[in-house]
Amino acid sequence: MRVGFFVTCLVDSMRPRIGFAAIKLLEAAGCEVVVPEQQTCCGQPGYNSGDRKSAEAMARKLIAEFEAFDYVVLPSGSCAGMIRVHYPDLFRDDPALLARFTALGQRTYELTDFLVNIAKLEKAPGNFKGTLTYHDSCSGLRELDVYKQPRALLAKMPDVTVHEMVESTTCCGFGGTFSVKYGELSTRMADNKCQHISATAANTIVGGDLGCLLNIEGRLRRNGDLSTRVLHVAEVLSGLDVEE
Amino acid sequence: MNARDKILGRIRTAQARQTTGAHVETISSHLARHPRGPLPPSPDDLVACFRERAIKLSSDVLEAKDRMEVPALLARYLDESKLPMRGVCWPSLAELPWNAAGLEMQSRPATNQDMVGVTGAFCAIAETGTLMMLSGAETPATTSLLPETHVAVLDPCRIVATMEDAWDLMRKECKQPPRAVNFISGPSRTADIEQTVTLGAHGPYRVLLILAPF
Amino acid sequence: MRNTSINFKSQVTIKLADVKLQGALSRLQTRFVEGRSAVIGEIDDLPATRTAAAAIRDRVLNDLEHWLLQFEQQATARGAIVHWAETGEDVNRIVAEIAAQHGVKTAAKSKSMVSEECGLNDALELAGVKVMETDLGEYILQLAHEAPSHIVAPVVHKNKEEISDLFAEKHQLPRKTGIAELCREAREVLRPAFLNADMGISGGNFLVAETGSVLIVTNEGNGRLVTTLPRVHVAITGIEKVVPTLDDVTTLVRLLPRSATGQSITNYVSVLTGNKNTEDHDGPEHFHIILLDNGRSSLVGSEMQEMLRCIRCGACMNHCPVYQNIGGHAYGWVYPGPMGSILTPLLGGLEKSPDLPNASTLCGACAVVCPVKIPLPDLLRKLREKQMERGMKSRQETFMLKAWAWLALHPAIYALTTKIGVRFMSVLGGRDKLLHSLPGASGWTNGRDFPAPAGRTFRELYQQGKRK
Repeated sequence: MRVGFFVTCLVDSMRPRIGFAAIKLLEAAGCEVVVPEQQTCCGQPGYNSGDRKSAEAMARKLIAEFEAFDYVVLPSGSCAGMIRVHYPDLFRDDPALLARFTALGQRTYELTDFLVNIAKLEKAPGNFKGTLTYHDSCSGLRELDVYKQPRALLAKMPDVTVHEMVESTTCCGFGGTFSVKYGELSTRMADNKCQHISATAANTIVGGDLGCLLNIEGRLRRNGDLSTRVLHVAEVLSGLDVEE
Repeated sequence: MNARDKILGRIRTAQARQTTGAHVETISSHLARHPRGPLPPSPDDLVACFRERAIKLSSDVLEAKDRMEVPALLARYLDESKLPMRGVCWPSLAELPWNAAGLEMQSRPATNQDMVGVTGAFCAIAETGTLMMLSGAETPATTSLLPETHVAVLDPCRIVATMEDAWDLMRKECKQPPRAVNFISGPSRTADIEQTVTLGAHGPYRVLLILAPF
Repeated sequence: MRNTSINFKSQVTIKLADVKLQGALSRLQTRFVEGRSAVIGEIDDLPATRTAAAAIRDRVLNDLEHWLLQFEQQATARGAIVHWAETGEDVNRIVAEIAAQHGVKTAAKSKSMVSEECGLNDALELAGVKVMETDLGEYILQLAHEAPSHIVAPVVHKNKEEISDLFAEKHQLPRKTGIAELCREAREVLRPAFLNADMGISGGNFLVAETGSVLIVTNEGNGRLVTTLPRVHVAITGIEKVVPTLDDVTTLVRLLPRSATGQSITNYVSVLTGNKNTEDHDGPEHFHIILLDNGRSSLVGSEMQEMLRCIRCGACMNHCPVYQNIGGHAYGWVYPGPMGSILTPLLGGLEKSPDLPNASTLCGACAVVCPVKIPLPDLLRKLREKQMERGMKSRQETFMLKAWAWLALHPAIYALTTKIGVRFMSVLGGRDKLLHSLPGASGWTNGRDFPAPAGRTFRELYQQGKRK
């Protein structure tokens, strides 16, 4: 299986380790992983802000870079959702492009969904020890049905205990530009999430989207919680969660 | 152009339709077929299902051997609940042995002073434990609305599975829908104060269903 | 009702700080979210039922003119008088005329959100008609001179203590403390209103074209009282509420209470056809039905038409994390939450509600529960596109979006810029690896730290052959 890996702009600039963790997992599952060099952003920030033109341009760039692969895999539900669900909408009036983007979308996967349902990874190479709780990011959950997959992978790690939080599927308040434009509201939603997290007494919060994780971590630290670890599921599964 | 013409004109323009016979046909064919949407599976025992759902919605349910036993059952219920032993009823129930059971029952529509109202029902719906009442000269709507206690005498063979079945029964037995069809599912209630359900808002405080074969 | 949605942002600040409101809003979770969840399983095949419900709504919306005519014809044949109103003011004028025509001095009213759109009560008072709200929540609002904050549970924002105080003050009766006592007091105070009112005013959840009927769903009994006792009944609703047949409306009624309040069925479902005739003992001698447009017709045939499917259940706002945190008043008009964020700009003008389409993370919780499958997040996004097209976005935001898009389309410059940016921010983050303030992003850093980037980009590390 030849996988084109889209690292996402957030992972690229903020947490490269997540990208390397994802590649390690894909290779452990037997995939040949290629990282197209010119990749940048999927166009979601502009799209959600109402700028279809910019999103269209970025979609055209992305399909040129990724169309040739058997699969396109991303360590993010929201970016994968952008490609699978929303790219076709951008080109709904152009039958030829619509067909190409629909086909691309069908081969595009969020990481854990790919590992469980396509690559059928048996065992993750990580050896995380401890209790963790899982935050379900909105796009992954509602656009791509990502819920069972990360839990299935975590369940196979012998030293991991998952404590489900109340309202794991409630939005953390990130929402891209919403987090800055409606900062007070966003902060309150993040705070609600942090309270649900601390009620589980887990020492690590794990999720599949870096935007959510940065939002949650930002509020935890401002609240004075410097000890709860905030990790992407790829880091936990791959063993690249160790602090250097 | 009046408001009607302007509104309809805007809609017509927006939909860029022509007023040809085709649309009239589509409408009349849908009306004639009146297809049903997805339905819950039909319960095996309609009466048991109805009873269970009615109790869940806070109605009280009693069962009589037959209609003649109804007054005695009601008298005991009212006595046990310390409620007045008198009320008003629909004409169709006037002939039951009320006096013999110790109840004063007048055959007339309810006024604000009446505390107990006794009605029949056109039919009942098992899916939700609901009564279907059709308004009419012999079936005044106020009897099930103004008094604090509403008693409905229901023939179990008039219990159907769903509201769709109830509409079909009405279509079969009535020339046209009456002025008011009221579906009643228990005592009146509100949850406007702190989202806490309280029984007895503006309508009856309690609903007693007496299942009595006719 | 006046549209004050322009004040959304400042209202958010106020509502987030309102401790009483926050306490009241936490009840939404139990009653409405858990309530819906407990009963929605009673529907055998929920996906199929929602699809059928959406199709029922679309059947009408795709041919609205003819379905309205069918309804009007049937209703008129049964003795109802059908009126058409372009605006809220028209509705008010029509109701005042009906009142004058029949010598109406007092009116008893059951809940109608459309009448809130029109500001009917105030207009009638000016016309010399005393209006009593009879739905308990609306009655409380009338006493308190407040607007509803939810389309189904209008006083969700108030707690019991506030209502006890209000009743004690307005009824001049000893203060009651129990909820049951408060309800009993309201019943006794309002019963004379039902009995003596000259006119009953109601909304209409649905209009059934097959029979020319108005269908209303209620729990309290007030809806039945106001449509049975007074000699004149006026029902007011929107033109989009037409449903083809009794069977179609039954599918919708199967979904509506379960989605709205977690009830298998509302206590009363009343289907009202025509006025009192010789076969009736009770009912209104005069039955008027007013159909309101108020901007709805402009949505027909547009890319926003799906919004007209709405059956006003309130499930979207119950499940919306934004609504759950700020309540309904912040939205500034009759309709709050996700459906309000779309309807208010569409009916009232996008320029009056710049924040509503944007104050959402597009999390999609609303779309999951909408019984008629309205693609709410997509419609919000379409409104954002309209704002972009009409130049309504701030210059700063437009610049940032264009700049980002330009960078993303120029990979070499993107790579360089991000390399510099992450090094800079990493240094700023210091040993804590946290930035406590970010120029231009105070919306984030007022309430949160910003975790510092790692300091190198993935792309540069990967190109250097690194593997972790």
